[in-house]
Amino acid sequence: MKDLIRIRSLISADVESLLNQQVKKEATSSSIYLAMASWCNRNGFDYSSEYFFKQAEEERQHQLKFYKYILDMGGNAISPDVTGIKQEYNSFREVFEDALDQEVSVTQSIKNIYARCLSEQDYVTNEFLNWFLKEQREEEYKARRALELFEVIGEEGTGNWEIDKHVGKIKYDSEA
Amino acid sequence: MVTTLTTPQTNTWADVFATAKGAVYQSDADRCWYVDFAGKVAKFDYRCLLKLKKAVYNVNIEAKLLNVKDPDVEIIFICACDHTYILTLLQIIALKELLEGTFVMLQLNSILQDRLYRIAV
Ligand SMILES: [Fe+2]
Ligand SMILES: [Fe+2]
Repeated sequence: MKDLIRIRSLISADVESLLNQQVKKEATSSSIYLAMASWCNRNGFDYSSEYFFKQAEEERQHQLKFYKYILDMGGNAISPDVTGIKQEYNSFREVFEDALDQEVSVTQSIKNIYARCLSEQDYVTNEFLNWFLKEQREEEYKARRALELFEVIGEEGTGNWEIDKHVGKIKYDSEA
Repeated sequence: MVTTLTTPQTNTWADVFATAKGAVYQSDADRCWYVDFAGKVAKFDYRCLLKLKKAVYNVNIEAKLLNVKDPDVEIIFICACDHTYILTLLQIIALKELLEGTFVMLQLNSILQDRLYRIAV
């Protein structure tokens, strides 16, 4: 008896479904960042707005990376529904707190897929995921750095204006 | 006219899994499975078999058992596949059992193929 399932697809049905969930997560991230870009723009934080526009675009690319990988491996990529995106924030700081929360949740989710792949010896997908693990290093660093600005600059007086200016300059360039 | 004789395609079905209520066979030549259940033999390719599994596993059997008002009938409709099942709750349980066994056997087959033919030892 032929192994018809394996012939059809490199990834297991379970991994495929986890990857599809991740597609949705990245799409959600992209939409969240877009909402943040809008809020920042409306409230006069132009550098942060620009920063979130870029992040939204990056998340879209992440979504496509997962999407195409599923298809390339013989799976069925599912275009996700994204609903319930928060549009209003109580403060400038809350925007960045939410951004960090979102990135932490993405990291945890990718770690979970990685663990699943290890358990079924799907090293091919693990190798694919390595890029994302490294990317999450950068994403968490940037989100954490943004929040740190609220501590080191402080929100009093022209603090938020100063913080906004510095958000535009956040960069991560570790060689490690 | 020259006819090239290749190895004869033995179009036989291999037993995958069977219960008292039904059976699943695999055809290597057609690259599909035949599900003998509820009085019919239905052909499923890989995608459709996964969809069938998902549809059946998604039926909340406990909730249905506890709900006396609900009609004791479930329609398993699989998008883009040719087959629809209209089943009673008991049949759903039997089909679920059949599919569970089937996927265990398919996975076992995969492991055997790995051990026997694919992995260098
Ligand atoms: Fe991402
Ligand atoms: Fe990034």
